[in-house]
Amino acid sequence: MHRKILAAGIVAVALVLTSCSSSTQEAAPEPAAAASEAAPEPAAAASEAAPAEPAASTTMDDSDCAAPENICVGLVTDTGKVDDKSFNQAAWEGTQLGAQSVGAFSKYIETTDPKDYANNIAQFAGKNYDIIVTVGFLMGEATVNAAAEFPNVKFIGVDQFQGEPIDNLAGLVFDESKAGYAVGYLAGLLTKTNKIGSALGTDTVPPVKLFGEGYKAGALAANPDVKVTLLYHEPNNAFGDPEWGAAEARKQLDQGADIIFSAGGATGNGGLIEVAKDPGAGTTVFCIGVDIDQYNTVPQAAKCLLTSAEKKLVSGTETLVVAAAGGTMTPGNNFGPTGIAAYHDTEGAVPDDVKTKVLAVLAGLEDGTIDTGCPACLDN
Amino acid sequence: MSVTDPAQTDLGYTDPNPMRAGRWPRVQAVAIPVVSVLLAFAIGGILIWLQGVNPLYAYWVLFQNALGSSEGLLRVMEKSTPLILTGLAVTIGLRTGLFNIGAQGQLLVGALGAAWAGYNFQLPALVHIPFAIVFGMLCGAAWASIAGVLRAYRSVSEVITTIMLNAVAIALVDYLASRPLKESDQPITRTPPIAESAALPDFGIVPSGFLIALAVAIFFSWFLTRTNQGFRFNTVGMNPSAANYAGIGVKKTIFLAMAVSGALAGMGGAVETLGITGRFEPTFNAGLGFDGITIALLARANPIATIPAALLVGTLRSGAATLQFETGIEPEVVDVILALTLLFVAAPIVSRLLLRKKAQKRTSAGSGWGGA
Repeated sequence: MHRKILAAGIVAVALVLTSCSSSTQEAAPEPAAAASEAAPEPAAAASEAAPAEPAASTTMDDSDCAAPENICVGLVTDTGKVDDKSFNQAAWEGTQLGAQSVGAFSKYIETTDPKDYANNIAQFAGKNYDIIVTVGFLMGEATVNAAAEFPNVKFIGVDQFQGEPIDNLAGLVFDESKAGYAVGYLAGLLTKTNKIGSALGTDTVPPVKLFGEGYKAGALAANPDVKVTLLYHEPNNAFGDPEWGAAEARKQLDQGADIIFSAGGATGNGGLIEVAKDPGAGTTVFCIGVDIDQYNTVPQAAKCLLTSAEKKLVSGTETLVVAAAGGTMTPGNNFGPTGIAAYHDTEGAVPDDVKTKVLAVLAGLEDGTIDTGCPACLDN
Repeated sequence: MSVTDPAQTDLGYTDPNPMRAGRWPRVQAVAIPVVSVLLAFAIGGILIWLQGVNPLYAYWVLFQNALGSSEGLLRVMEKSTPLILTGLAVTIGLRTGLFNIGAQGQLLVGALGAAWAGYNFQLPALVHIPFAIVFGMLCGAAWASIAGVLRAYRSVSEVITTIMLNAVAIALVDYLASRPLKESDQPITRTPPIAESAALPDFGIVPSGFLIALAVAIFFSWFLTRTNQGFRFNTVGMNPSAANYAGIGVKKTIFLAMAVSGALAGMGGAVETLGITGRFEPTFNAGLGFDGITIALLARANPIATIPAALLVGTLRSGAATLQFETGIEPEVVDVILALTLLFVAAPIVSRLLLRKKAQKRTSAGSGWGGA
């Protein structure tokens, strides 16, 4: 036993030594740090910009973010990875695109513990980053606090509704009723039974109600005969009740509805997955997701997923990053674009004339010629 | 080491009694954790190197951030505080021959209990803080007692029950924080913030919760070596039959140890709520109880040693974000290092356990690790 321990110790020391010595030969500390930067970024500004563009217009790294000609953009994820196929990833892609177009350097930190929000933001602020993007409404409080603590840094809060506008903080929000209207319009055109349903998070949360009311308005605009059921979860646990979402979706299918708009975190996902289990999924019954392209986030629902009422986070974030870099950022709420996600597996189930009509409606929503009836609909 | 050496128990900690413990077990008590940590860092270093970063530079960044500034030190102490307490919780169990895997669940219940006591009452700080901490401890103790009763009086393995009670605790606190105890008029699952009078203050850069955790670790070191009850815990842990023969109420002792263990984990949750988070939110306390297992095994069930073990884990955890910021290494490398550490620390214990079981040609499914 003595010898074994001793041997283990020797092996350990040897391992430490070999791993260290070999790596010091490989790379000196500083360049190693910069090189690794490019690795985790899929379409990284750093990796592409480095050889292609002249250094004068592009900030290469964050060694001197304080210099006025260098622009540095940092992103702090909500708990989760930067490739989560959801909010974090969309915000990071938008940040990279924005940074690329203004010649800025961009970098992210992935939050592993919600208690670290403030500290992770401070990492960027401490290095004199010019713009810090924070993702998700759970980070809203931390972002407001950080904006007060670092008045010289511009903050972009993705999906964070702003109460009192703060000079150096722009919230990226969306008019959910437009996205809801678009998917409602699609559902109104496609329904064979003239009955469409929904399983939604609580109507006490305005964005959810905007999705729902927009859905109803869009469906009726497409098809005055359609019967739209708007079903909201009670406020408690509104976004964490997949069983409720599944049960309500099932019930409405049994009552003859053939398209279900299922929106509201885990609650909505439960509804989507339930619809996908129906034997007619993808041929006679369909589901519609929300927020981001749920084809990626809820693959179990791919079979029935017509599309998703989408907040265009990528372009919304990109626009705000560019505005912040150019000094034209507007404090308070900034409305980003909305739309619908790709049809994916249900592409064949949507006739071409329907697709064309939906595109026209999307354009009308964008230029304001179509009124969703919201936000006045919140008083319904 | 021969299996009959009385200085060495199943659980791999060293008998503090110098009459029986020779010099070697003491050396081993230090050597195994140190070698395990070094090995884990070496393998972690290889992983870092494979990502194109010099491991020495990465580790320097990790530790420099944590220990190189007063904010960093504050954060390390903040992170370590609940870890010392959950480490102690697991330690008390190990010393009594119980493997409490349920520290996470007990911590959650304690954190929520302290939050409730913190926001629901208006009291002077001198009363409010101790009240909220004790309430959190009672919640944790009550939760652990379920497993304690089952173990002591029905011989149900506490390993199984505490794991399962973790799942129940997660669902329970989720339910409570999303319904009866939820902060109204907002969509997030969380309780209202605690009253200011319940908040644990910082003394300069030292959080008072950290001082409490240190004091508790010192107390339990004394308790286990210098009190009758501590002696009963140790004796039951080493040999329940002998303890029974010596007139120690084994069942009562096991139940009590489980309750104390749960109280410590609950205290970890309470101190976290009152000192750091200021309210209960289910996502806030992820992993603290499980890190406690790593810490207790790394400390080889020595209460004082949980302090450096928790500081090591706290340092790694608080430096992870900087590591990614400076080098691009994903913060999960810290989890890899901790998991490897646990593996190396636990390996000798597990192998000894297996050997012993084999040697004695006896298995007892109903008893825990340290059981008869």
